[in-house]
Amino acid sequence: MIDSPTLPQGASNVTSSPSPLAGLRQRLSGRWLFATLLLAGGAVLSLLVLAPLYSLLSKSVENKDGDFVGLANFAHYLSSGGIESAFVNSLWVAALSTVIVVFLAFMAAWALTRTRLPLTGWVRGVLVLPILAPSLLPAISLVYLFGNQGVLKSWLFGAEIYGPIGIIMGSCFWTFPHALMILLTAMDNADGRHYEAATALKASPWRTFWTVTVPGARYGLVSAAFVVFTLVITDFGVPKVIGGQFDVLATDIYKQVIGQQRFEMGAVVSVLLLLPAMLAFVADRYVQRKQSASFTARSVPYKPSHNRRRDAFGALMLAPTVVFILTIIGMAVYASFVTFWPYNLELSLNNYQFGRMDGGGWGAYLNSLQMALGTMVLGTALVFFNAWLVERTPQPKLLTGVFQMLSLLPLAVPGLVLGLSYIFFFNHPDNPLNVIYGSLLILVLCTVSHFYAVSHLTAITALKQLDQEFEAVGESLKASRWRVLFTVTLPLCLPAILDVALYLFVNAMTTVSAVVFLYGHDTQLASVAVLAMDEAGDIAPAAAMAILITLTCAGAKLIQSGLRLWVDRSTRAWRQGAE
Amino acid sequence: MNQTTQGSRLEIQGVNKFFGDFCALENIDLTIEPGELVCFLGPSGCGKTTLLRIIAGLEQQSAGQLSQGDVDISLKPPRDRDFGIVFQSYALFPNMTVSDNIAYGLRSIGMAKARIRSRVDELLTVIGLEDHARKYPAQLSGGQQQRVALARALAPSPGLLLLDEPLSALDAQVRHHLRSEIRNLQKQLGVTTIMVTHDQEEALAMADRVVVMNNGVIEQVGTPLEIYQQPASAFVASFIGAMNFIDSAAVNGQRVRVGSRELELVRPMPESQDCVRLAIRPEDVHLLPAGDGDWEGQVESMDYLGAFIRTHIRLADLERLLVVDVDPRSARQLNLANGASVCLQLPSDALHCFAA
Ligand SMILES: Nc1ncnc2c1ncn2[C@@H]1O[C@H](COP(=O)(O)OP(=O)(O)OP(=O)(O)O)[C@@H](O)[C@H]1O
Ligand SMILES: [Mg+2]
Repeated sequence: MIDSPTLPQGASNVTSSPSPLAGLRQRLSGRWLFATLLLAGGAVLSLLVLAPLYSLLSKSVENKDGDFVGLANFAHYLSSGGIESAFVNSLWVAALSTVIVVFLAFMAAWALTRTRLPLTGWVRGVLVLPILAPSLLPAISLVYLFGNQGVLKSWLFGAEIYGPIGIIMGSCFWTFPHALMILLTAMDNADGRHYEAATALKASPWRTFWTVTVPGARYGLVSAAFVVFTLVITDFGVPKVIGGQFDVLATDIYKQVIGQQRFEMGAVVSVLLLLPAMLAFVADRYVQRKQSASFTARSVPYKPSHNRRRDAFGALMLAPTVVFILTIIGMAVYASFVTFWPYNLELSLNNYQFGRMDGGGWGAYLNSLQMALGTMVLGTALVFFNAWLVERTPQPKLLTGVFQMLSLLPLAVPGLVLGLSYIFFFNHPDNPLNVIYGSLLILVLCTVSHFYAVSHLTAITALKQLDQEFEAVGESLKASRWRVLFTVTLPLCLPAILDVALYLFVNAMTTVSAVVFLYGHDTQLASVAVLAMDEAGDIAPAAAMAILITLTCAGAKLIQSGLRLWVDRSTRAWRQGAE
Repeated sequence: MNQTTQGSRLEIQGVNKFFGDFCALENIDLTIEPGELVCFLGPSGCGKTTLLRIIAGLEQQSAGQLSQGDVDISLKPPRDRDFGIVFQSYALFPNMTVSDNIAYGLRSIGMAKARIRSRVDELLTVIGLEDHARKYPAQLSGGQQQRVALARALAPSPGLLLLDEPLSALDAQVRHHLRSEIRNLQKQLGVTTIMVTHDQEEALAMADRVVVMNNGVIEQVGTPLEIYQQPASAFVASFIGAMNFIDSAAVNGQRVRVGSRELELVRPMPESQDCVRLAIRPEDVHLLPAGDGDWEGQVESMDYLGAFIRTHIRLADLERLLVVDVDPRSARQLNLANGASVCLQLPSDALHCFAA
């Protein structure tokens, strides 16, 4: 290795050096390569998120013919009275759902982590079940329970399920697991020393609850509130099925675009919907930034003591939620097998013969399966590769900062808004990419971007946990970053990779909002078929399809759990003592 | 080990490192001879790790050159430099067995399988972990993990071994043991070694030469004895071992005034200074029975530290208490006790002086 380069002013004793330039190239080749790759990753994300959003924004200030009209569209929409109903409706429905869900989820998380109730594993399993179902399922189920021919209609004392009550109940069902998982994460890591201190200071259980438990979970509570609020205000499935005449922003977009083909008005409503979502996103980021890890290596995990009364209270807190979730799912399953509700209650598989209905039938289901698998493979690869570039390769600070923002942006963009943006961007005649419009690929790309942020955060967290010096050791042992990636980083991240894969698969199977504008004649999807059948009045087949989607997701979850178990088994030796 | 690696000479010239506006290293010049063990010693944040990472190429210097052997390595990426490194966290690959960890660097240079196996076995014998070859790092103790990290770094026979606080994660006993083990291994292999530490005892015990750093500059380079006996600056004097500092005024080139008395100096005074700081180690102060000298003081407190007694003495001319180490036998002869009077002498050959 005598071909060593020198600095231009090289005051060294080196003899044969080719040129200073070669040295520079040698020195930078690694860095340049990785920076270029991350730049490419950033460009792809920009293309998938930023560019479509830009098209949407510009569309909202143009008229039908594409001339710039300033805020005229907004003025028109606001003066048409839409604002009073839809915007205000959206806000209060989302706010009320948030309060209910966060309260129930917090009590459930408390009962699961601070009591000694038996079977908590099973209870946890039931409580997160809704995540496997499309958001249309609770709405359909509620129709069967409380609708005009519903079995429990009398329980509403004459109130209508079609409207805010239905929307809130349905929203609570499907957003509950999201809040629960955030709160469980926040509360699982309780530091036992705080509880011991409280006991030593003779604090009552009630006071301990308010002075130790609640403050410990406050960041989780804030985060859960923002997440639920955003999910409800941007959801379209539940209000579409059970909203009746009750207008919310999400259904308004759908009506403007699909019903009246007024794309620029759809863009206007989208921008209005984007505002609260963005606000919630920024506020959440701001709050989370202040959070510092309170669970340190020195912490002692909390072990609840024996206390019958506390456990009974916990069971009381869990019971209504468990019953509600099981009822909703049970009703949907039952309804899907009933031959002709409510006249012929004989059970049959008639409703599963999708070939006879609208919405694409079994073909749609197969499309969904393909789309979800595509999203899973492409998304997981893209997410991990980019996260690896950010976290484990030398990068200019500015670039990682910009990339980080880009990857979190999808968290603030409602699915409907993203879907509509995709129409504007990818269906534009001048866009060379418009060949993919109407294909399965655009559905995959849209879904990957829609769920990019959470996957990205999971990947980053997993990569951050690895020793910061692995790459440096690799370099000193003459191993490239790539070899370290394949022999060390990826094997260590396998559990997180499986998590991200499942997350993407399940969401791709169940999502409606982003893809409802994008599917083409040959690319109908199962979740959209649920909607179409419901619209056509085929509610039972809609329930059947929703159940089929849920079962598919449950199957995926089972396979993933099996794989994780296998990974854990085969890596137990080297994880031993590492926890 | 039947084969010895020849260590290489490392030359560092005018190295600077800035993090934004912050200057982490300033004009570092240093030559490390083949086969030497050099310790970088200094308080937290003084730039030791930064300098080590620049030598490894993991961090790019803002200015200056480095050469190893006859090769200028200033701009080379880490992969093209010739070193092995052990980090504070060891950074062992948790998903690989002890043998696979050690073999990692040998595989990347494409060594034949059979040779890799014999090299790994050889290293396992050296570190005494023959029976643990199939274990994973998480199944080993801290000291064992440390040894594996060392073996992994040494496997490709690098000319330079870099150790960043390799012992700081271990408890005192293992640390003492590994200290001599590393030192013996290093001597045996003849590999040039740089070790970063902020434990002065460790540095003095292990190093051929110690590089004392402070605030991004090198304060002094020397053998442990030189550093201890002839500190080049007040910082080094106070950082290594214990030291009394006494403010004084210069009378002429050879004499200084402390309060009302004058003292003779043997060592040269810093030039053209009106005020100088005298320094003397606690064990260099002579104590005499009360009445046997003209400089008397009172014992304020005594700490029994095993082999010696650390005595704090109040003197009329000094603001600060003087710290004096006395062996127990002399203490008995002097009848030392709290409040007792005692006379003392500051031998001129033990007095250091620094610019005030
Ligand atoms: N990447 C960085 N960006 C900015 N400042 C840095 C960076 N790395 C180190 N520094 C600063 O440079 C100085 C020297 O750091 P260095 O890690 O070399 O200290 P050290 O002597 O190894 O200390 P310690 O004994 O605590 O490990 C510190 O003040 C540190 O804050
Ligand atoms: Mg350091």
